[in-house]
Amino acid sequence: MHSYFAHLSPQHRRSWLLVVAYVAALLAISLADFGANTAGQTMFRGVLLGMLIFLVASGLSLIFGLLDVLNFAQGAFLLIGAYVGYDVYLRVDGSADVRFLAAIASGVAFVALIGAIMEMGLIRPLYERPVFQLVLTFGLGAIFLDLVERYYGADPKQPLAPPTLLNDNFSLFGQSLSYYRLFIIILGIVMMIGVFLLLNRTRIGIIIRAGVQDPEMVQALGINVRRVFTLVFVLGAGLAALGGIALVPYQGATLGMGNQFLILAIVVIVIGGMGSFEGTAIASIVVGLTRAVAEQLSLAHFNAPVLAETSVLLLMIVVLLVQPNGLFGRGD
Amino acid sequence: MSAAPDNILEVENIHTFIGEFHILEGVSVSVPRGSITVLLGRNGAGKTTTLRSIIGLTPPRSGEIRFNGQPLRGKRPHTIAQMGIGYVPEKRIIFRDLTVAQNLQIAERKKGDLAGKADFIFGLFPDLKRLYHLPGGHLSGGQQQMLAVARALVADNDLLLIDEPSEGLAPVIIEQMMGAIRQLSARTTVLLVEQNFQVASHLAERYVIIEEGVSVHAGLMADLVNDPELIKTTLGVA
Amino acid sequence: MVERFVFARIQRIPDSTLRSLADRLARLVLDNWFFALAFVLLWRFPYIVADLSGSQVKPSRPTGDSAFWQSEMARALALACLAMSYNLLFGFSGIISFGHALYFGAGGYITFILMGHYDAGLQHKALVVVLLVTLGLALFSRLRARALVVVTLIGVLLVLLLLPAEGAISFWQAAAVALLLSIVVSLTSGVVTLRVRGIYFAMFTLALAEVFWVLAKSGTFRSYTGAEDGLAFRSLLPEALNVTPTADGSRLTMYRWTVIFFAVIFLAIRRYMSSPVGRVMLAIRDNEERAQTIGYHTLFYKVLTMVFAGAVATLSGLLFVIWATDKIVHPDTLSLTYTVDPLLNTLIGGVGTLTGPVIATLGLHLGETYLRNETFTLGTRVFGLLAVWQLIALAVAGALVWVFRRSLTRLGQRLVSAEPRTPRYGRLMLAYRAGVFVVLAAALLWIGSQLRGETEAVYNVADLWDLFLGALFVVVVMVLPHGIVGTWNRLWATRRLRQLERQMRKERESVGTRKT
Repeated sequence: MHSYFAHLSPQHRRSWLLVVAYVAALLAISLADFGANTAGQTMFRGVLLGMLIFLVASGLSLIFGLLDVLNFAQGAFLLIGAYVGYDVYLRVDGSADVRFLAAIASGVAFVALIGAIMEMGLIRPLYERPVFQLVLTFGLGAIFLDLVERYYGADPKQPLAPPTLLNDNFSLFGQSLSYYRLFIIILGIVMMIGVFLLLNRTRIGIIIRAGVQDPEMVQALGINVRRVFTLVFVLGAGLAALGGIALVPYQGATLGMGNQFLILAIVVIVIGGMGSFEGTAIASIVVGLTRAVAEQLSLAHFNAPVLAETSVLLLMIVVLLVQPNGLFGRGD
Repeated sequence: MSAAPDNILEVENIHTFIGEFHILEGVSVSVPRGSITVLLGRNGAGKTTTLRSIIGLTPPRSGEIRFNGQPLRGKRPHTIAQMGIGYVPEKRIIFRDLTVAQNLQIAERKKGDLAGKADFIFGLFPDLKRLYHLPGGHLSGGQQQMLAVARALVADNDLLLIDEPSEGLAPVIIEQMMGAIRQLSARTTVLLVEQNFQVASHLAERYVIIEEGVSVHAGLMADLVNDPELIKTTLGVA
Repeated sequence: MVERFVFARIQRIPDSTLRSLADRLARLVLDNWFFALAFVLLWRFPYIVADLSGSQVKPSRPTGDSAFWQSEMARALALACLAMSYNLLFGFSGIISFGHALYFGAGGYITFILMGHYDAGLQHKALVVVLLVTLGLALFSRLRARALVVVTLIGVLLVLLLLPAEGAISFWQAAAVALLLSIVVSLTSGVVTLRVRGIYFAMFTLALAEVFWVLAKSGTFRSYTGAEDGLAFRSLLPEALNVTPTADGSRLTMYRWTVIFFAVIFLAIRRYMSSPVGRVMLAIRDNEERAQTIGYHTLFYKVLTMVFAGAVATLSGLLFVIWATDKIVHPDTLSLTYTVDPLLNTLIGGVGTLTGPVIATLGLHLGETYLRNETFTLGTRVFGLLAVWQLIALAVAGALVWVFRRSLTRLGQRLVSAEPRTPRYGRLMLAYRAGVFVVLAAALLWIGSQLRGETEAVYNVADLWDLFLGALFVVVVMVLPHGIVGTWNRLWATRRLRQLERQMRKERESVGTRKT
């Protein structure tokens, strides 16, 4: 830990300070405006949202960092994961626990398969044409959305019952919340730690980080980077799918959720810095908190979603103006 | 009658294009086993591209390359590297965010490669032992170059392709680097690209001159050193 | 060949002024005959349809093929203008926008919201805004005093002209305001975000468009926008622009105006592309840094193109909405649909070509309308719920292609006439492999369906159209990156090149024999 902070560049050190100051400001505003209880609830919701965004954004960040492809289909991965998970949940017989696990397994596996085919068949041949890669992922995202709508219908799906273990409620800041929400947060933290360990302690993680810097050199060292690319793409897709399925017992499944989270994820990696993993993690929490506080503010004062929608966008613009390559970016 | 030379690497008349630019228009290089061969030539002549063509990063469109008798053209860079060729690119390219240890670990091709070579590597470059856990970006230029070369020594490489190892280094460091290269040439063959003729002439046994994408001249370094006319016309160096 | 004949004859004209005039005229005609022909066809289109279908051009009620197709063609032309504006950004300048629909939908929304909710106090508020903007520019930008004065004067003039102090705002004024706002938005967002890498710009446009789409759909602004039901403007539209009545020729007149609009936009974009500004944009597309080092302020040019494209999109959007049969501005004009549509059409038609997006838009939209009610049968249930056995069949096909990939590649290399490791080789090999897979999969699926005794299934074209577009999109991106028109142009150019080479060789040989 100490070595991490010791080796930070001055730019990153400043970014950390900014983040801490910003979060403190959000907390202060919430406390002043809503009172302790609501402020606590808002913060909790913000962290929850941040974790969900992280699941989508981490995939986006990894894929962009290594493959230099901004995967606009990432939102679609979340969507497909959610719908397939929902579908399997309803088809499988058994207790809520079994269904839930089956939903997660099948959703993640299915999206991983799609991701693998997409990367190997469509994205890989386009490496010399990055503009077309971008357009392709964007178009595929739209196509996937259309397929899901065609197959499952446009009506929103109701939230499903969470596994029995988590079906209970607990009290936090005067509100009775389902344990499932806590589960989502813990899931997010586990994934954060998991990916962190992967990137820093395993050989494949080192290869990925090296590949982010210089894929040619990694090849020249005798490592088949292409297979690593596919692996990372599949990993990113799987994380997004996980996020999607996790959402189903919490919010149900709607066709708009894919794009919703895609945009939030995009804002996150812009703010955090493209290709920076810790930037993604930190920015996810920041964006989640921003959104939650903004929502609460608009609810309390304006009764309009304007502020919530635009708050995140404004944040992105401000960061882009002040630090074009993100708070923890690499200055390319 | 001398025996036919055992050439670990045979490059025959390769043509390499980058996009539509015809960079190499017929380069041939023979590298005898165990030697240090240097590619000489002016800036932009195509020396770096030759190395990159061998390792497969800019594959040649025509011609033949044989390593230990095995054809290389058409193979992907990682396959070529796995056959036992190490590549040290110019400009001290190491993975800046990875530690020295990780830079070396990533170069392992079999488990235990690093453990087996650690003594040898630290013997050549003692500084690296001291800096083992520092991120690559924190090393000085000379140390980074040493790391770049050391990285190519981790796996069992029979041939090292080294591009401008002395570029931008202080003379003292250059001396160290030259000593290290001489030492490692005992174990592996070295194909060098070197702009600095002083360094090249003191290190290499054989030379190949590349001019505007064509290999124009080859021979023993000893002969070249004694021919100032040839040096002036082909290298523009007095 | 025709060209050579014509120019040879022109060369024989003795009088020099007459000759140069004839030369210019000939060039004008020869370069533009295609467009002139297209214009005439478009103009006469209602009559052509009337003749083919036996309907009336000006029927007493808005029914009948000719009247229907006038409406459809007009909508397609509006969308073609949108595609051209997108091509200006993407194909021609290399600027990727994923939020172009914002400008498209803004046309309709802003115009009719303003008309429906106009209040005289707006003029004063607008004047204040102009003053604030000038103040802001004075403080934060590098504009000099003279420029600031000009900006203020223009601002004040526009406000006075367009926003009346009393009474209601006319359609034309509202439309002008919509155009102006679109320019302002594209200007400011461009200045802020076109400085950074293209990818950031793409993300920003996506987010911006999404925000406005959500706002338009949201219930909080229902009184302004109509939320998901859309903004009804039947009462706000001036009679002159009402396309519903056909007996008095309103629709036909409106159709002709639409064709003229399309032609004007087409010519304007063409002029822009061949102007000095257009050439700078080409340089920026190829290598922005180099253009900057040469001395161009690339940001200025990029913003200029962005503003032009946004303006065209806004006007097209307004026109499109006028032709809507239900006279409602739907929120989906701001949605991704109308960003993906021009993107798709630009790609399929040919990125960077002038006619490509137009041909693709017209072809695809009119094609869809024409085939909408068609059905066709397939011998096997290919789409819809994929049964387990079908998934297995696909997997087997994939596995076969994988296992035999080496021999397949060898066979492919003999068929493909490109150099290995060039992009064209990669594309052709990909097309070849995909083709093999599709054929194999289709064969296996057919065999499977025969074995299981599945009956035929009937499909509606309408249901499958989006799927078809998606597949077309993927095919074009992977295999035909230059689109239909682009590939056609390249084929022609290669043909010309070969002709010239043959000519040169013949001349060289004849010179050679003469020498000996």
